[in-house]
Amino acid sequence: MNGYVMRITRQYRMTARRLAALIIGLLLTANCYGFGKPYPGPFFENEQLLMVLVPRAPEQMAAFYEARGFPQNAIDIITDTCFVTVHIENKSQQVTWLETGNWRLTGNGQALTIMGTDYWNRQWEEIDLPRANRSTFYWTQLPAVVDLQADEPVGGNIVVPGDVEYFAIEANFMTDQDKRGQMIQLNFEHVECPKQAPIQ
Amino acid sequence: MKTPLTKTLFVLLLVYTASCAATEKLPRGVMRVDGVTAPDLQLDNIDGEAYDLTATGGHWRFVHFWASWCGPCRREMPSIQRMIPLLEDSDLEFVIVNTAETEDAVFNFLGIVAPDLVPLMDYDGLVTQVWQPRGLPSTFLVDPAGKIQYQALGGRDWDLPAYIEFLRNLD
Repeated sequence: MNGYVMRITRQYRMTARRLAALIIGLLLTANCYGFGKPYPGPFFENEQLLMVLVPRAPEQMAAFYEARGFPQNAIDIITDTCFVTVHIENKSQQVTWLETGNWRLTGNGQALTIMGTDYWNRQWEEIDLPRANRSTFYWTQLPAVVDLQADEPVGGNIVVPGDVEYFAIEANFMTDQDKRGQMIQLNFEHVECPKQAPIQ
Repeated sequence: MKTPLTKTLFVLLLVYTASCAATEKLPRGVMRVDGVTAPDLQLDNIDGEAYDLTATGGHWRFVHFWASWCGPCRREMPSIQRMIPLLEDSDLEFVIVNTAETEDAVFNFLGIVAPDLVPLMDYDGLVTQVWQPRGLPSTFLVDPAGKIQYQALGGRDWDLPAYIEFLRNLD
């Protein structure tokens, strides 16, 4: 009787060990294939700040704005450029300044400038884009300046010229209301401007 | 008979109590602002009825800007639908403003996630531009005198107890 119980217990332990090994193996494999990735693109996260970049292909941007009734001439202008969706979250309890004017972007061996509100307003004036479309476009862009309060998120697109394949971002954030706190610098070295949307 | 130590402790207790009363406990993501007068807000709702914020003074207003393409707005809107009946006994007024979308886009979205809401339609986005939210979604709390006293940063579940209690106790 005792021998029978011991055999059952031994079998149970061996099965449990095999099961544990299988689960660990599956988890490691899943991680290698990116199933465990917390964000869909390059990101930085610590206890102060979260910043996530999601590069967009021209066809993705065309689909988004076409679905919002943008005319073809606006779509043509949009798809000539490179969009990267940015999500930033101030995880600290101090004010953190998003000021894209303090960021340094480099691509094709030279400095790049984010194509901001002034650039887009000129484009929309030229093609007489309807007001509703201009408004939607404006609210889909990352604001140029925000004094991010504790726990405040912000998101939107940054746009660079479409002939860039890869670029680097040095994102500098001043801290404290008076900007005298320690500066946070995040570096993203290899941000892609994909020419085609990733296969889902 | 009061000793100097007792007096000192009493004074310290008074100071502490006063400072606690002065420190307002706000739920996460809600920020007090400096009480500027709310900009004009005159729009038609999706049923074509006119609305004017200045004509509805005397109580607090929850002024919310959103668009159906915005992910945080989509996640937040069902909680606004759930929150409204929880505050039925308060005199808080809900002013839901869609930014620069068509009736079809709004109807297709709200019809599924928040069918009881009747949004105002800022068709060209100009009213939203004047209010200058920090992003979408954005919520302003306007006091009975027409001043903006609080702004909510980003999206949240408005039907959580902390927000319901805060909104119920606005004064």
